[in-house]
Amino acid sequence: MEDMIHVDRAMSTNQDIKISAKGVQVYYADNHAIKDVDVEIDDKTVTAFIGPSGCGKSTFLRCLNRMNDTIDICRVEGDIRIDGEDIYDPKVDPVQLRAKVGMVFQKPNPFPKSIYDNVAYGPKIHGLARNKADLDEIVEKSLRKAALWNEAKDRLQAPGTGLSGGQQQRLCIARAIATAPEVLLMDEPCSALDPIATAQVEELIDELRQTFSVVIVTHSMQQAARVSQKTAFFHLGNLVEYDDTDKIFTNPHDPRTESYISGRIG
Amino acid sequence: MQSLTTPLLFIFALAVIGYFVAKSRALKVAGGDIRTLVSLPNQHALNTALATIIPPVAAVLLFALYGRLTDGGPNWFFTLVVIGLGVTGCALSLIGIKVESRARTYAERWILGLLIFASTIAIMTTVGIVFSMLFETFNFFGQYDWRDFFFSLSWSPNFRGNSDLGIIPLLWGTLYVSFIALVVAVPIGLFAAIYLSEYAGPRLRSVAKPAIEVLAGIPTIVYGLFALITVGPVLRDYFAEPMGFGQSASSVMTAGIVMGVMLIPFVSSLSDDIINAVPQAMRDGSLGLGATQSETIRQVVIPAALPGIVGAILLAASRAIGETMIVVLGAGAAARLSLNPFEAMTTVTVKIVSQLTGDTDFASPETLVAFALGLTLFVITLGLNVFALYIVRKYREQYE
Repeated sequence: MEDMIHVDRAMSTNQDIKISAKGVQVYYADNHAIKDVDVEIDDKTVTAFIGPSGCGKSTFLRCLNRMNDTIDICRVEGDIRIDGEDIYDPKVDPVQLRAKVGMVFQKPNPFPKSIYDNVAYGPKIHGLARNKADLDEIVEKSLRKAALWNEAKDRLQAPGTGLSGGQQQRLCIARAIATAPEVLLMDEPCSALDPIATAQVEELIDELRQTFSVVIVTHSMQQAARVSQKTAFFHLGNLVEYDDTDKIFTNPHDPRTESYISGRIG
Repeated sequence: MQSLTTPLLFIFALAVIGYFVAKSRALKVAGGDIRTLVSLPNQHALNTALATIIPPVAAVLLFALYGRLTDGGPNWFFTLVVIGLGVTGCALSLIGIKVESRARTYAERWILGLLIFASTIAIMTTVGIVFSMLFETFNFFGQYDWRDFFFSLSWSPNFRGNSDLGIIPLLWGTLYVSFIALVVAVPIGLFAAIYLSEYAGPRLRSVAKPAIEVLAGIPTIVYGLFALITVGPVLRDYFAEPMGFGQSASSVMTAGIVMGVMLIPFVSSLSDDIINAVPQAMRDGSLGLGATQSETIRQVVIPAALPGIVGAILLAASRAIGETMIVVLGAGAAARLSLNPFEAMTTVTVKIVSQLTGDTDFASPETLVAFALGLTLFVITLGLNVFALYIVRKYREQYE
């Protein structure tokens, strides 16, 4: 069955592969959280991970920028390559990897700094700006991209924590794209937002596709259908099905996918 | 006081009996089905017990405040009043037990009263301390010119009169010792806290944190002994004498270093708790942007924890300013205005003790100066606390 999926995908796309994962296993102490996941994520595409709570989609997402390294009991096995480079190679510095693979979290987590400093944080630590004017430009560009510039331009020195929830999340997105990543991972970025803010963020995700490869974990199947081109369905730590979003939502291969999408499991 | 023991014991016994009587009475009133009761039997019982105890005890306290207990003790009339209040409270609340009576509201009011009373005591004590010091300080300034006290550069009390009682040398000693103590305690404590909360594994942390906190449990007199027999001579033999700073074993440096060690747990333990309280989401956010762990700590975690850390440091500073024993044994008792950290100096607190111990009459300026010193110290630490609150609030506004 797995082979069939591979064939399907090969036919349906001829884009560059950005991330390729083979035989990924994740353990939390004795708990086998991710079981033998193979997935190939295309460049300049929005890929959605869906599945019931606890199915491992967030865990797998966090493998892609080695955020799981910060959890002591977590162990990752298998082969994950970005642009053909093994990111779990001992020679790879997770710090540099994370500069390349940005992340936006479930809950907006702006730093207790001004809006400007929040966005300038990444560029500053990575030395992306040579001078203040450069930095100003990066901040403005990122805020514009995150559709926050008009609301924030008059209060750049105000604390980022004073923004509304939706604005905070867009600030976090601006912060992530300011470091000019190649891949943007989003872990349920809209789950703490109201429908209007969600719509804004979704619109933003669609625009980000021009520049980045975006991987988004979501609980909302409508959201996955709206924003993504490819969808992966996780269940109990297994990658059940991975295909074009249209295909997953109209004509899923696996009976489990079908029951999840029609609301029978999850 | 003696004669009130029996009535008060009686009141307590009455309260216990009232508790159980009220409970069974409430059950009886309910006719077996406690769902019909507006308040639960336990609430009736609590209300009865509180109504029995609180009025008589309050009466005794009020009576004591009036000061009549001191001359002659209470008379039989007052004893009767106390017992009467208890019995009335008990009886009234027992009679009041009905299906629809709202004992929970009453019981909660009694408890609210108790809570207000407890917080009032804390505030009134501070006010009382200030007033008792104020009166004696007024007496002192009646006998000694305040300009000499605040601006004179020498301290040489003389019990036959003609003393120089300038606070500046003592204040200088206090600030100098506290400064050295903080220079020792703040970096060490803060770095220890950062290591414990950000780098150490859970097992090491569970051992190291209590081990550091043991330092806080050592009595200051023991620290004083350590200063006297170990740190002082070592500093003299290896630093002061070879470098030509003097021959004194007791010095500002000795007291400051030992006091700094004493303060480490205050800084480290509080800062550690505060750093731990910074949400993991902050760290994840920073690490997710490709920041290193140390960049994350320096630029995100510490700024977020700063108000609390400043609070911890100022708490340590208040302790340092008020510390006496380590100074007596470590820095000596000679008031001196000098920049040399290897010279013996003394602090305000030490002089308060030495002015009030021994054969002293409470009328001479040499004794009364202790109160003026105490009040000055109080004002300084109060100022420090207000400043701490101001800083904490300022950063709160910015960060939350």
